[in-house]
Amino acid sequence: MKLVSEEVAATPERTAPRPRPAGGLNLTSLAALYVLTVRQHLHGRRWMVLAALFLLPAGLSILIRATAPEVPAIGIEFMIAFFLIPQTLLPLVALVYASGIIQDEQEEQTLTYLLVRPISRWALYLVKLLATLTTTIVLTAVFTILTYATIYIGHDVSAGDVTRRCLTAVGIHALSVGAYCCLFGLIGLYTRRALIAGILYSAVIEGLLANLPFGLRLITVIYYARVAAYRSMDFTFTDRRGTHDMAAAAWQLDVRNDPGLTEHPTLQSCVLILVVASLGCAIIGALMCHRREFHVKTPEGS
Amino acid sequence: MPIFDQGYQHWSGELTGHGWRWLAITRHGVRIGMKNRLLRIALLIAWLPAVVLAFFLCVWGLLEQKSDLVQPLVPFLMSMIGPEIVNDPKAYRVEVWTLAYDYFLLTELRFSMLVILLVGPGLISRDLRFNALPLYFSRPLRRIDYFLGKLGVVVVFLGLVLVVPSVIAYVLGLLFSLDLTILRDTFSLLLACVGYGAVVSVSAGLLILALSSLSRNSRYVGLFWLAVWFVSSMVGTVLAAVNEERRMHHQYMRAVEAEQQAARAAQPPQPVQPAKVAGGPKQRAPAAQVDHRRIWADIQREQREAAKTDWRPLFSYTTNVSRVGRHWLGADASWEKLAETVPAEERDRYLMDNMGPQYPWYWSAIVLAVLVGLSVCVLNFRVKSLDRLK
Amino acid sequence: MKPVVEFHEVSKWYGNVIGINKLSIRIPAGVTGLLGPNGAGKSTLLQLATGQLYPSQGRVRVLGREVWNHPGLNRFIGLCPEQDAFYEWMTGWDFVYTCARLGGLNRSAARDAAARTLDAVGMTPNMNRAIRGYSKGMRQRTKLAQALVHDPEVLFLDEPFTGTDPVARRELMDIIRRLGGEGKSVLVSSHVLHEVHTLTPNIILLNRGRLIAEGHVRQIRDLIDKHPHHIVLVCDDYRKLAGHLLTWDDVEGVRVQARDKAIVVETHAPDAFYGRLPELAAAGKFDVKEVYSDDDNLEAVFKYLVSK
Repeated sequence: MKLVSEEVAATPERTAPRPRPAGGLNLTSLAALYVLTVRQHLHGRRWMVLAALFLLPAGLSILIRATAPEVPAIGIEFMIAFFLIPQTLLPLVALVYASGIIQDEQEEQTLTYLLVRPISRWALYLVKLLATLTTTIVLTAVFTILTYATIYIGHDVSAGDVTRRCLTAVGIHALSVGAYCCLFGLIGLYTRRALIAGILYSAVIEGLLANLPFGLRLITVIYYARVAAYRSMDFTFTDRRGTHDMAAAAWQLDVRNDPGLTEHPTLQSCVLILVVASLGCAIIGALMCHRREFHVKTPEGS
Repeated sequence: MPIFDQGYQHWSGELTGHGWRWLAITRHGVRIGMKNRLLRIALLIAWLPAVVLAFFLCVWGLLEQKSDLVQPLVPFLMSMIGPEIVNDPKAYRVEVWTLAYDYFLLTELRFSMLVILLVGPGLISRDLRFNALPLYFSRPLRRIDYFLGKLGVVVVFLGLVLVVPSVIAYVLGLLFSLDLTILRDTFSLLLACVGYGAVVSVSAGLLILALSSLSRNSRYVGLFWLAVWFVSSMVGTVLAAVNEERRMHHQYMRAVEAEQQAARAAQPPQPVQPAKVAGGPKQRAPAAQVDHRRIWADIQREQREAAKTDWRPLFSYTTNVSRVGRHWLGADASWEKLAETVPAEERDRYLMDNMGPQYPWYWSAIVLAVLVGLSVCVLNFRVKSLDRLK
Repeated sequence: MKPVVEFHEVSKWYGNVIGINKLSIRIPAGVTGLLGPNGAGKSTLLQLATGQLYPSQGRVRVLGREVWNHPGLNRFIGLCPEQDAFYEWMTGWDFVYTCARLGGLNRSAARDAAARTLDAVGMTPNMNRAIRGYSKGMRQRTKLAQALVHDPEVLFLDEPFTGTDPVARRELMDIIRRLGGEGKSVLVSSHVLHEVHTLTPNIILLNRGRLIAEGHVRQIRDLIDKHPHHIVLVCDDYRKLAGHLLTWDDVEGVRVQARDKAIVVETHAPDAFYGRLPELAAAGKFDVKEVYSDDDNLEAVFKYLVSK
C-alpha cells in the first residue's frame, strides 16, 4: 500500500533528508527526549531549591559539630544520613520530580508536542522516568557525599572506611530514591492528586508502618533500605556507658533475640526487592501510558 | 418611553468602599475550596478531636457535679491522671481544661497544616499561571485588597479547624458543668484559643501565600509547604535529640565520677596484702557503689534547667507556633500544678515528658515575626500592580 | 483519489458528552478547511486524526494506516496545536531543533532543518531569543515551524491565525498556500471564515459533533435549496429596475437599499439570472453600475447551515 497520494508523488525533490521509517523506538528520538527531560529538571529555580534542601544535612552536621563537638561522627552520620535524608528528603525529591513526569507536561500543554512525535507512549514514559531517575540519583549522590565530607572531615577516621561507608550510603539512597521515583511516577499517572497521595504514602506507610516491628513494614521502601544499611554497615559505638547499637534500637531490629537477623531479608534480597519493585512500577506505568489518552486542555474542549 | 433599550446599561449606583472589597475574593476562594472533596473530608476528620474535647469537658463537668453518669469512668480517669485530681475536680478545673485545650490545639495544628496544604498552594500560583492578575487589578481593587482576600480564605478554613470547634466545645463544657464560676475561671482559655487561631492564621497564611507567589505550579508550592512543615520539624528533632543525648551522657559521666570519687574518699584506706605467690594477682581496692537512681534524678533536674535555654527546637515551624500558643494558654503553669500530685523524685521526669520545649516563648514569637516579615516582602515583590506586570 | 485522512463512522465521547458523532469523511490531498462554531468538534477531530485520542467507535486512518498508537506514522504528520504552550525557557531555535531531534533527525540534519524551517516562517531574526519574550505572531510562527521541521506529508493546523495581526496572518496564509502548492496535504481549522475561503474552496463543516457539509463551497451553496441567493445590483434608477426584474420568473423577491442606490434580488436560479443580465445591460434601459453577490461564499454557507 502506498503511503503517499499520487498528487504528492509528483512534487519536487525534498531538500531535507527523510528519517528512516521505523516504529516508536528510534534511538535519536529517545535520546532527544531524555536530554529534554533532564534539561527540564535542571532549568530554572526548581533544582536550586532542591539543592538548598539537600544542603540542609551538610549544614546541619556543621552546626552539630560546632555546637556539640564531642558527639561521635557515627552518631551524626546515623541521625542525618540514615534518619533525616531517607525519611524526609528522598521522598520529597522523588515527589517533586517524579509525580509530575507526565502530569506537568499535560498541565503545561506541552505533552502534545511529544505525543505527535514518532515515540511510542510506553517509551515516552520510560525515557522520561529514566531521565528523572538520573537527575534524582545524581543529586542524591552528590549531596550525600558532601554530607559525609562535612561529618567526617577533621575526625580521626581512616579515609578508606569513610569512603566505603559513604559509597554504601550513596548506593542505598540511590536504590531508595529510585524506588520512590518509580512509585510516585506511577501514582502521578493514576491520580491528579499525586502530591496528596505521595504525602499520605510517605507519612502513613513509610512513616508509621515502617516503625512497626512486624509484617506490615515489608511493604515499605524504607524497611529494605534500613535492613540493607544494617547488614552492610556498622552502627555501633562504644563509650564509657557501654556499647550502643543505634540502628537496632531506632529501627526496631531485635538483635538481642535474633543477632543474625535471620527473620529479615539478606542484603542481596533487599537490593533485589527494591530493584524489582522499581521495575514493576515502571512497567505498570509504561503500560498505563501506552493505553491512556491524555486530554490536553483547550479553551474549547477542557 | 414604552420601548426599552436592551443593550448594555451603565451602573448608576454607588460602589462600596474599599473596606469590603477583599470579601469578594475570600467568598470566591472559600466557595472554590469547598468544592474540593478531599478538603471536606479533611475538615470532617479535623472535627473529631473537637468531639473528643467536648466529650472530655462534659465528663469533667459531670465529675464536678459528682454525677452518677460518669462514675464508671472514674477508675479509668484515676489511672490516667491520678486519684488526687479526680477526687477534687473543682480544684484542678482550670489546669485540666487548660491541658485538654493544649492537647486539642496541638492536634488541630497538624490538621491545620494539612488544610493549608489542600487550600493554600493554588491561591496565588493559579492566578500567576493563568495570568489572572490583570483581571483583578484592572478593577478598582488595590493590592492590599487582593492580599487580604486571599489571606481571608486561609483564615476562614483555619478558623473552621481551630476556633469554631474550640468555641463549641467550650460552650458544651460550660453547659454540662452547671456552674457559673467556670466562666470566670476558664474564659481566658477561650480568648487564648482565638488568639492562637489568629497567630496560626496570620503566620501560616502569609507564609503559604508567599510560597504560592513564588511558583506557577501549585504542586511545587505544596511541596515547599511540606518542606517547611516536615523538614523543619525533622531538623529540630535531630538537633534536639543529638543535644539531649550529648548532655545526658556528659551529666551521667560527670555524676558517676563524682559519686565514685566521693565514695572512695569516704572509705578507709585498705592495707595492701602482699601476694602469696610471686607474680600472682594483685588485690584491688573494692569498687565504689554508685547510686544510679539519684544520678538519674539529678540528670532530670539538670535537663529541665538546660531546656529553658535550648534554642534547637526553634528550627521547627510547628514547635514555634505551639510554643506561643501554650504560653497564652498557660499550659506550663498547669503542668507544674499537676506535678505537685506526683512523688517528688518523679516530678522532674514527669515535667520533662509533658511540658515540651521550655525556652522563652518570645523567642518563638520573634521567629514567627521574622517569617511574617519575609512573607510580606516576598508577596510585595512577586505580586506586582498592573503597571508593572509583564 | 486515495484519501489522505479517513474517518469511518467515528464517534468520540467524553463521559456523557459527545464530541464527534458518527463522522464519516474522506479528506483528499490538498488544502482543506475545517470549519464550525465553538464546540463543533474541530479540535477533537484533529486530535483523533493525529492519534492523541482514541475513537470511542469507528476507525481513523491517515495515509492508509490506523493512527492510534502508531508512532511511526507521526513521522509523516505535523501538527500545529491550538494551545499557546511552549517550553518557554527555550529559544525559538532550541525549541524547533529539539522538535526535529524528537522527530528522529540526527544532529546535523536537525540543525539544517531547524534553520531552514525558521527561515521559511520568517523567524530567523528572532530565533535566538527566549520564547517567553515572543509576540503572539512569533509564537504562532514558531508553532508552525515545529510542525514543518521534519518535512511531513500531512499537516494539521488548529486555529493557526488566532491572535495574529493582519500582516502575520497574510504571511501565514502565504506559507500555507505554498505548502499546498508543494503537494502537502493541509487541514486548516479556523473560525476566520474569509481567510479559509481565500486559502481553499474545499471545506468540511461541523456542528455539534456532526458533519454538516463537505466539498466545494460553491457546490454546497448550490445544494442549499432552502435559502435563495442574494445578488446585489447598483443602479441610479434602482426602483424602475426593481419593477422590471419583478416580472422575471426566476426572481423570488426584490429588496430596495435606497441608501446605496441598490437592490438585492433573491433567486433560486442564480445561473439563469446571471445569464439574462447581459441582455438587460445591452438593452440600454438601465445603467447597471455594479453586480455582486456576498452570498456565494463561506460565511453564507456557514450561517445557513449552522443556524438551521
